[in-house]
Amino acid sequence: MPSSTSNFKRILQLPRLFFRKPTEAESVHGGPPLEFERPIPQIPWRGITVVVVVVVIAAACAWEFYCRSIGYGPTLNDNEDLWTMTRQRVKPESVVIIGDSRGWFDLDLDELQKGLGKRPVQLAMGGGCGYPVLADLADDKTFHGTIICSFVPRLFFAPPGTPPMERGEKAVRRSHTQTPAQHVSEYLAMPLEEHVAFLKQEELTLDDLLKRLPIPNRPGARVPPRGPPYFGTLDRERRARMIEECARPGSELQKRIQQIWLPLFTPPPPPSYIPTDVFMAKMKDAIEKRARDTIAAVKKLRARGGKVIFVRLPVTGGLKALEDKTTPRNQTWDPLLKGTGAPGIYFEDFPELATFNCPEWSHLSAGDSVEFSKRLVPHLRAALGM
Amino acid sequence: MLFNSLTFVVFFVVVVTTYWSIHSWIARKNLLVTASYIFYGAWNPPFAALLFSTTAMDFWLGRQIAKAKDQSRRAWLVGSVCMNLSMLGFFKYGNFLLENFQWLLARIGIIYQPPHLDILLPVGISFYTFHSLSYTLDIYRGVLQPTRSLRDFVLAVSFFPQLVAGPIVRAGDFLPQLVTAPRLRIGQFMWGLLLMTLGLFEKIVLADTMLAGSADRIFGYAGPLVALDSWLGVIAFAGQIFFDFAGYSTCAIGAALCLGFHLKDNFRFPYAAIGFSDFWRRWHISLSTFLRDYLYIPLGGNRVGWTRAAINLVIVMFLGGLWHGAAWTFVVWGLLHGSYLVIEHASRALIGERAWTGNFAVKLLLGFVTYGAVCLAWVFFRASDFTIATRMLRGMFGGHPHGDAILATREMLQIGIVTFFMMLAHWSLRETNVETAVTRLPRWLVTTAWALMACAIILTQGTSNAFIYFQF
Repeated sequence: MPSSTSNFKRILQLPRLFFRKPTEAESVHGGPPLEFERPIPQIPWRGITVVVVVVVIAAACAWEFYCRSIGYGPTLNDNEDLWTMTRQRVKPESVVIIGDSRGWFDLDLDELQKGLGKRPVQLAMGGGCGYPVLADLADDKTFHGTIICSFVPRLFFAPPGTPPMERGEKAVRRSHTQTPAQHVSEYLAMPLEEHVAFLKQEELTLDDLLKRLPIPNRPGARVPPRGPPYFGTLDRERRARMIEECARPGSELQKRIQQIWLPLFTPPPPPSYIPTDVFMAKMKDAIEKRARDTIAAVKKLRARGGKVIFVRLPVTGGLKALEDKTTPRNQTWDPLLKGTGAPGIYFEDFPELATFNCPEWSHLSAGDSVEFSKRLVPHLRAALGM
Repeated sequence: MLFNSLTFVVFFVVVVTTYWSIHSWIARKNLLVTASYIFYGAWNPPFAALLFSTTAMDFWLGRQIAKAKDQSRRAWLVGSVCMNLSMLGFFKYGNFLLENFQWLLARIGIIYQPPHLDILLPVGISFYTFHSLSYTLDIYRGVLQPTRSLRDFVLAVSFFPQLVAGPIVRAGDFLPQLVTAPRLRIGQFMWGLLLMTLGLFEKIVLADTMLAGSADRIFGYAGPLVALDSWLGVIAFAGQIFFDFAGYSTCAIGAALCLGFHLKDNFRFPYAAIGFSDFWRRWHISLSTFLRDYLYIPLGGNRVGWTRAAINLVIVMFLGGLWHGAAWTFVVWGLLHGSYLVIEHASRALIGERAWTGNFAVKLLLGFVTYGAVCLAWVFFRASDFTIATRMLRGMFGGHPHGDAILATREMLQIGIVTFFMMLAHWSLRETNVETAVTRLPRWLVTTAWALMACAIILTQGTSNAFIYFQF
């Protein structure tokens, strides 16, 4: 009786390929027929495939139901391809919003369109620095529209190589190098993301789920702080809206996000391998360079008729106290406006803008963002000389 | 177009469905040519023209070599080699050569500021150049007849599963498969799909999710690191590059099987290699056999005495390193492997075949020494410059006892667990192949493993990160 091993030998012939002189007919195609064949496992493929398909569909449906039951809803992922598609909508005279997530959540496109006469293009990005986008628009010789730049000092002055700066740079780079395949992938992904809740690249991926495991780190380990969980939705115009659970007073989600902002907005300790004074001097140089570059970009835009306006959008609670302490207005906002000569709107300067409360300290709720934008419009019009 | 993108999923479904719906073999081949050029053009359409021109030139040169006699055969071959390598040289090594030329002139006191050539590297040029070059080389060697069909040769070079990141499929291995139309076999098709699932799992879940983040942070950290983090960073990269590249090759083999084509293995559990010759029989097999057949053996191989054979090995590995990228770090990586091979050959000559070398414990020990040495070489492969490589090596060997610890415990566990199971799989399967293993496994286990891999891919979602070997 043949052993199981001998059976395998018969089934799984070792790959081999050799040449013999081809016949006349074969030589048309370059050689003799193939004598190398990959072995194919002899198992009941039909049954296995059917079971796998059923299990995978069932598991995906169960995961979708679970994600919805704990508060997740379908939304687009904010990736470089979606940003690029939005960037491609910028016309020479467009109104463009750039900067960080406050510009994303707090400014309502409908209200701004009503007030400014043009529908703004939303190019702000969560946790992003607005400078790379400002520089890109300044270098775009066809553009001579209006830029509304949301300003959060820690993000706008983020040095090269840090996540906020890299996020902005990556998006700009993608807009110049996007391949047709990436463009098509985004078109295909959007309808899926609009209907499937678990398709969230920054929240429900395996990587994010692993990051949530409560495993303590070594003492002294320099591990970057975690970003906030899902608290907003995004549409095809990249308009972000806070979800209701986050806006609900006293919700757990709200409290959790508040506690995440604090380490994220706290300056990290200087690296161990650079003396503190040298590091601080480097940081100062980087900030001064960013200020100089911003002045140059604004000048370039103005030279061809473009306009730039900086806006400082609401921040409240413990985060406001932290920002006021670590990035005080007189060292960040005031010099920026003075250097660029651009108009600016600081929410605290106007009582009708200063009364809003940010549920998780950093962004306005979806409802408040509409009212806030309505109240902001007259100030924008005045600053832009409209 | 990346295998791990939605565009590819739709593209592949359309191509496979249309392909098996068409009766005419010629029409099917035309479809594959069109699909392959769409696949390639989806990155950068003008580069499809470059791909076609290289292919057409080699098709013509192949015929000239076959027709010519003696010296002129060699001249046509030299023409083909020069054409292919100059194309590769211009796109891949243009700036590297200029920078080194500038450095050399500076050494003799001449200040020369070369213009920086704004050259965009056509994706996969190192692979398709070798696909194409193998054709003229094999015709010259007399092991392949030139094909009369330009369409067949175009398909052999540009067949989309293996076009941009291998395996390097020789024309002689592929052209014969174009003689008769393959039949749709359900087992082969499903095995192809399972291999594609395995390949994507390796890439998206194991390489990108479990290992890439840690490797990137360690190699991107500007300060000194403690030994544990340095080693874990290198081990993470060793796993990442294996899963990334083997994942691509597995996807390519699977996709080809779904279309009825057979590509050879490109990896055979390389981290269970015992010695460096064994490693290169298991790692990127299509490149190592290419270099062996078209470079090492023509240089004389090991038939020319010990010293000359050692020099040949070093030359081959030097060029193998340079093939991976235009940087001296890749050259050092290649030279390190060359030195490993020379040391191994010398040790074999000195020790010979002793009974104790067949002992499992000795094999295991030698296997781990091989893995350690391969990891050391990966430092130069991954580091973007020698400053980083030196800092990493110092960290690994205790040069920074007060360095920083930057890996989270979770990341350390991920690296440890994935590496442990990878080594276990490699050692368990080192004498066999995946097909045998799958045949032996209980059906429920195959089903569960396939379903789990598919679920993990869906859960991970993927961010369409490019495969590491695309840049080569």
